Amino acid sequence: MHAKRFLKFIMVVLLLTLAVSVSLPALAQDEVSEFVFAHPGPIRTMDAPVTWFGSTHWLTNMLYDCLIWRAADGNGYVGQAAESWENIDPLTWRFHLREGLTFQNGEVLDAEAVKWNIDRVRTREDFLVYPQWQFISEVVVIDDRTLDVITGLPHPYFEYDVSFNGCQILPPDYLESVGEEEFARTPVGSGPYRLAEFTESDRYVFEAWDGYWGGAPEVDRVIYQVIPEASAQVAALLAGQVDMISAVPVPDRALVSGTEGLALATETSNRMAHFYLRVETETGAMAETFPGYEPATLDNNVRLAISHALDRTLLADVQGAAEPRLIRVCDYYPEGAIGQYASPEAVAAWYDPELARTLLTEAGYNLEGGAGPTVYIDSPTFQSGNDKEVAEVAAVMLQEVGFNVEVNVLDNAAYTEQISSGGNNRDMMLATLGCSPSLVPSFYRCNWVQANYNVCVEEWDALGGEILTTVDPEARLALWGEWWDFYMNYAQTITLYETDSVIGYNSAEFDFTPRKDGWFTFRELTPRS
Amino acid sequence: MQRLIVRRLLQMVVTIFVVSLIVFFMVRLRGDPISVMAPPTFSEEQIARLREAWGFDKPLIEQYTLFLSKAITGDFGQSIQARRPAMELVIERMGYTFYLAGVSSLIGLAIALPLGIVSALKRNSFLDLITSFFASLGTAMPSFWLGLMLIIVFSVNLRLLPAFGALEPAAIIMPSATLAVGMAARLSRITRSAMLEVLSQDYIRTAYSKGLNQRVVLTRHALRNALIPIVTIFGLQLGWLLGGSVVVESVFSWPGLGRLMIESINVRDITVVQAGLFWFALSFILINFAVDVVYTFIDPRITYR
Repeated sequence: MHAKRFLKFIMVVLLLTLAVSVSLPALAQDEVSEFVFAHPGPIRTMDAPVTWFGSTHWLTNMLYDCLIWRAADGNGYVGQAAESWENIDPLTWRFHLREGLTFQNGEVLDAEAVKWNIDRVRTREDFLVYPQWQFISEVVVIDDRTLDVITGLPHPYFEYDVSFNGCQILPPDYLESVGEEEFARTPVGSGPYRLAEFTESDRYVFEAWDGYWGGAPEVDRVIYQVIPEASAQVAALLAGQVDMISAVPVPDRALVSGTEGLALATETSNRMAHFYLRVETETGAMAETFPGYEPATLDNNVRLAISHALDRTLLADVQGAAEPRLIRVCDYYPEGAIGQYASPEAVAAWYDPELARTLLTEAGYNLEGGAGPTVYIDSPTFQSGNDKEVAEVAAVMLQEVGFNVEVNVLDNAAYTEQISSGGNNRDMMLATLGCSPSLVPSFYRCNWVQANYNVCVEEWDALGGEILTTVDPEARLALWGEWWDFYMNYAQTITLYETDSVIGYNSAEFDFTPRKDGWFTFRELTPRS
Repeated sequence: MQRLIVRRLLQMVVTIFVVSLIVFFMVRLRGDPISVMAPPTFSEEQIARLREAWGFDKPLIEQYTLFLSKAITGDFGQSIQARRPAMELVIERMGYTFYLAGVSSLIGLAIALPLGIVSALKRNSFLDLITSFFASLGTAMPSFWLGLMLIIVFSVNLRLLPAFGALEPAAIIMPSATLAVGMAARLSRITRSAMLEVLSQDYIRTAYSKGLNQRVVLTRHALRNALIPIVTIFGLQLGWLLGGSVVVESVFSWPGLGRLMIESINVRDITVVQAGLFWFALSFILINFAVDVVYTFIDPRITYR
């Protein structure tokens, strides 16, 4: 073949491909209402109980019903497979299922199917949700539509935990007949949407299911498209190729809100930023990595000084979108948010640099001589906002009261591996975490050992155990008050703020109210009429 | 030729064995995958049981023997996160990576060869200067930035092309153009210098003096002899592309192997990382083999003993 002719041929093929490609999308448009959400990824398996990651459960919630589910407005719970439920004695919860429930393949969804699913998550040790289902000791089927879920101990957060990751009801007969591997390829659910097609961790197309007990949802098709890059997400939103992105970067917010047909919505995310302080040196790899190192934060006065030196209101501003907080309670589930630390005024009053200096002097540091304690701050670059900048500003605040500070910033993946999981945190590490009331007391009990911390104060440990088994709301709230006293004065965890989600969405075509629990699941989404 | 193929195939087996060793142990150098995978609600005891369930509690040699015996049959184990065979996930993404690499290479070649040849023929001309400028620009321009600029122009402003994914046929245009720019820049420089060297040879002067026209001299005598370095660089570039271009795949949300690898590394899905790395190494070996074979067609003087 002559080179010139070959090159001509290549050019013609390329031009034809371009022309056909550009014209095809217009021909392919159809009439169904379609909503595309840019998911930051990754997405794990659709065999829901296997995984623990919330952002995967945003999708599984479209496909599967649970017994009950958190109300979108944060006001209690709504029935999904269960029509009603009641606490018939301190250890027993009775659920009444809706009539005529089936899975999307026609398999009957009855009390036996629910029992099979609960038994699966509480007995399969290879499932990442397994520990969170150990509060259930037995499930008893009363009849086709009634079952009792029995807890080992009185459980004040039963409804919260029974609607947690792993609550999804899968079709037992189908799953057993095809096996778990095939089920992960061709999942069948009981929720309002069927999974029509997907490419693993890339694109998931959900189609409204007519047979759902509540009727087919209003939006015909919901697509979760993984777009990892924040700037590419913004571009896709501006180009009209996706209808929503979950986190608009700070520099792009004005552009998005100023674009016709787009709007911003802000809602708390149920994620909180804290500094974890070292109160011991046994956990993790710190002793091997930094042999002989004795963190200044072993001294309670130093920890309290750090807590009083930080202006949380300013740090929340630096983060980009956040609400300053003193205690580990999220807006969505304000259980325990009582007492002297709960109000916005308390946040402002706690910031006291003078007191911080006094505490350091009491701890034996000669601040006049410039001999303040040295602390290391470990921080990721960007996990939930301007984390690196938050760490740097916090360092300045600490320096102002006499600390010598060194900030160690790592890329997110390296941070997770070396600091969070590796346990190489020295004095202070920035951590963005959840705030479930049923888990928070557990994090500070003696049997709770993480790579990066362990807290064991006997009195506090006992108090945490008491909270988790006290059903009477008033008595429990009183216990919470005492618990927060420990939390604030022991200062192992210094809560900074609750992060907000700043969502960009197509307001011309969709009515959207963010869920209070921070989840991006779209059962309730409605097209704008 | 048959001897070459047989000998190369045997060498490939040895190389693949060494690659399997490196892949297996390097992946584990990053530490215990279970401790990262397990949520904070897991106790040490539960983590130990999970480690046992996935076979990570066994001695490394035993784990490697098991890995190798299964890998020979294409079984790299189940993805820890997706609960599907790891190789199935890699194959699912491989098709997209092949497609992107193929189209990018075609565009890159279609731009680079003519530019390189013309630059060499018109050495030090204004055209050569312009070509050199754009080649330097193409090499220096980060693909991340170029990709975003293309999205802003063609998706956001002109609304002509999809900004992400591989769903529509037109979705290939921007990611392949982004990759092709860098490839064309490097290849055009190589083509130019190779052609300049060949054009200064006596046999080219002889060909002209025999009265052959420029087209014949260029295609039959010059280009063919200049092809060796071009094919070498092209093979290397293609190898990188088949391994998945992480940056471009992330910017355009292209569901290729590069993105799968990054996601799997971040969540320590080591079975997928192993399968992906294995494929990456294999593709490089196969391309090197293909390049060696192509050499013998380009220049019959080349023999492999």
